[in-house]
Amino acid sequence: MAGFLKVLLRNVLQGPSTDPYPLGPTFSPDSIRGKVVVDPTMCIGCGMCVHVCTAGAINIQHNENGHVITIYRNSCCLCANCHLYCPTGAITLTDDWHSAHEQAVKYQQIEQQHIDYEPCLGCGTPVRVMPLALVSKLYAGKPDVDPEHVRHLCPRCRQMEDAVRTYNLQHPEAPASGNDEA
Amino acid sequence: MLDTILAILHMCIFPGGVFALAVALFFKALDRRIAARVQRRVGPPLIQPVLDIAKLLTKETLIPRTAHRAAFIMAPVLAFTGMAVCAAFIPVPGVYSGLTNMGDLLVILYLLPIPAIALMLGAAASSNTFSSVGFSREMLMTLAYELPLIMILLAVAMLVGKETGVGAEFSLANILSYQAANGSLGFHPVMLPAFVAYMIFLPGTMGVAPFDIPEAEQEVLEGPLLEYGGPLLALYQIGSALKTFVVLGLGVALFFPGTLCDFWPVNLVWFVVKCFLLMLVTLTVVKAATGRFRIDQAFWFYIKFPAVLALISLVLVWWL
Amino acid sequence: MSNLLNKLSVRSPWLFRINAGSCNGCDVELATTALIPRFDVERFGCRYCGSPRHADVVLITGPVTLKMRDKVLKLWDEIPNPKVTVAVGICPISGGVFRDSYSLAEPLDHLIPVDVNVPGCPPRPQAILEGVVLAKKIWMRKLGIEEG
Repeated sequence: MAGFLKVLLRNVLQGPSTDPYPLGPTFSPDSIRGKVVVDPTMCIGCGMCVHVCTAGAINIQHNENGHVITIYRNSCCLCANCHLYCPTGAITLTDDWHSAHEQAVKYQQIEQQHIDYEPCLGCGTPVRVMPLALVSKLYAGKPDVDPEHVRHLCPRCRQMEDAVRTYNLQHPEAPASGNDEA
Repeated sequence: MLDTILAILHMCIFPGGVFALAVALFFKALDRRIAARVQRRVGPPLIQPVLDIAKLLTKETLIPRTAHRAAFIMAPVLAFTGMAVCAAFIPVPGVYSGLTNMGDLLVILYLLPIPAIALMLGAAASSNTFSSVGFSREMLMTLAYELPLIMILLAVAMLVGKETGVGAEFSLANILSYQAANGSLGFHPVMLPAFVAYMIFLPGTMGVAPFDIPEAEQEVLEGPLLEYGGPLLALYQIGSALKTFVVLGLGVALFFPGTLCDFWPVNLVWFVVKCFLLMLVTLTVVKAATGRFRIDQAFWFYIKFPAVLALISLVLVWWL
Repeated sequence: MSNLLNKLSVRSPWLFRINAGSCNGCDVELATTALIPRFDVERFGCRYCGSPRHADVVLITGPVTLKMRDKVLKLWDEIPNPKVTVAVGICPISGGVFRDSYSLAEPLDHLIPVDVNVPGCPPRPQAILEGVVLAKKIWMRKLGIEEG
């Protein structure tokens, strides 16, 4: 009987445990999953995020001069599958959970990044410039490779370069012999 | 003529009407605030009950097409006026001795169930299934807590009447003067069970947890109040606030009407403080710490404990 | 006088929640904002009320399923004006993970005028508080009071 009175008295003495938000500051746990952001320098438009997205909130549109990745925050269920499966780590979930907004700006709640292609240094076709981090990872043990040059090549031209470098061929313009040897 | 005007002033300004409403709304704010504090919350600002009523006055009034229009609108007005009149009968010891000096205890006994009856009337008039459920629950609760109340008042009246030699004293003014001469009834050993019964009666009549069964919002969507909104709901809230003042004031007048000195503002403040302490013990703490009874549990609780306690007092008064 | 009443009135928003076929995740968060001392929604004068007639701010959770559509519309019509509608969670806003399901009606804002969206699956309690504060602002705008 007196047990609950003891609890009540203790509560009064301890004072309110209320978080002052939104009148004051609040806290965010380390592992909180907030708004999704895309790093435009890392996204290669592979489409893995579109494939794994639970809510179907991600859309990637390819055209000849680049691709556009769009994430609809009002559909995103914050499951972080895209972050888990993204091969380049381009998608991350921030700790920004301030999601309330008025109806007027409902359709502006998107994360959109335009990734433009640049002409390949070898053949001139429009190509997604490889992220620098990815290049340095790929050519980690090869100090003779210039990452800035390699990342501006299309996959086919890069294969050529690799073949030329690996087998010490003199003429990169003679692909037939290189391929035969391989 | 002068008496009539004075009576109307007593009903509208002091102690009914304005004064009672101010005290009751302040009490309600304190009640919510303290209930929040004992639950480690901050709680609403002290002006919140006033804001709630102001908000309700600005909202539109919707009346169901199937409702009985006149009864639907009359019910909250009845609850409000009934309690405003009843508040005028509550004596403030040392300041105001009640509207009349004969039989006013009986009048209070008749006026006290009026908010409950108005609530039932409104529930029946609003033609809603949930309201009907709330109506039947409210009726059962009224039956349950009126029985101990009658016996408590009877015990007090008989004790004072026996001592003064008139049989049964139903005048609050005389009860007060008896207590001023012979000490408060709350300290009288025979009246102790009746006082405990009155304390248990309070949460039931105010419809707060654990006896908020008729207005249970999770079960019957606030029951009788379901179809009310806007100014009509504000009237109900004012009526309920006045009822808080009436039942607390009656408790203080019956059991602890002691005064501090002859200076009336001090007595007034002392009366309000005593009302507040009674509310703190019987309403706020109980509300903050308990869940809700089922209707049959609440009914039998009232038959088992307060009624029996009041009966003990009554029998003791009869014999001793 | 009525201007003063209007100004006072926005400080007492009573909340009413409609579950339009929600998975209960958002409803738990709504209960959290009301019941957990840390978030204590009563600070702003809010109160969860059981009856739509008492409501000022209506919080709708869940994708609007075909079975719930008519009931949501009916319940929403029961709420006296002026009212502010808040869509809580991604489901009423866009359909969320249930989008394009055979059993769903339309997104909520095709059916009734929504004022505030609080996306999240479920949103944080603090985000819901943010939404309630935003709803208060919109309520003031509806009453024709400048924000201050």
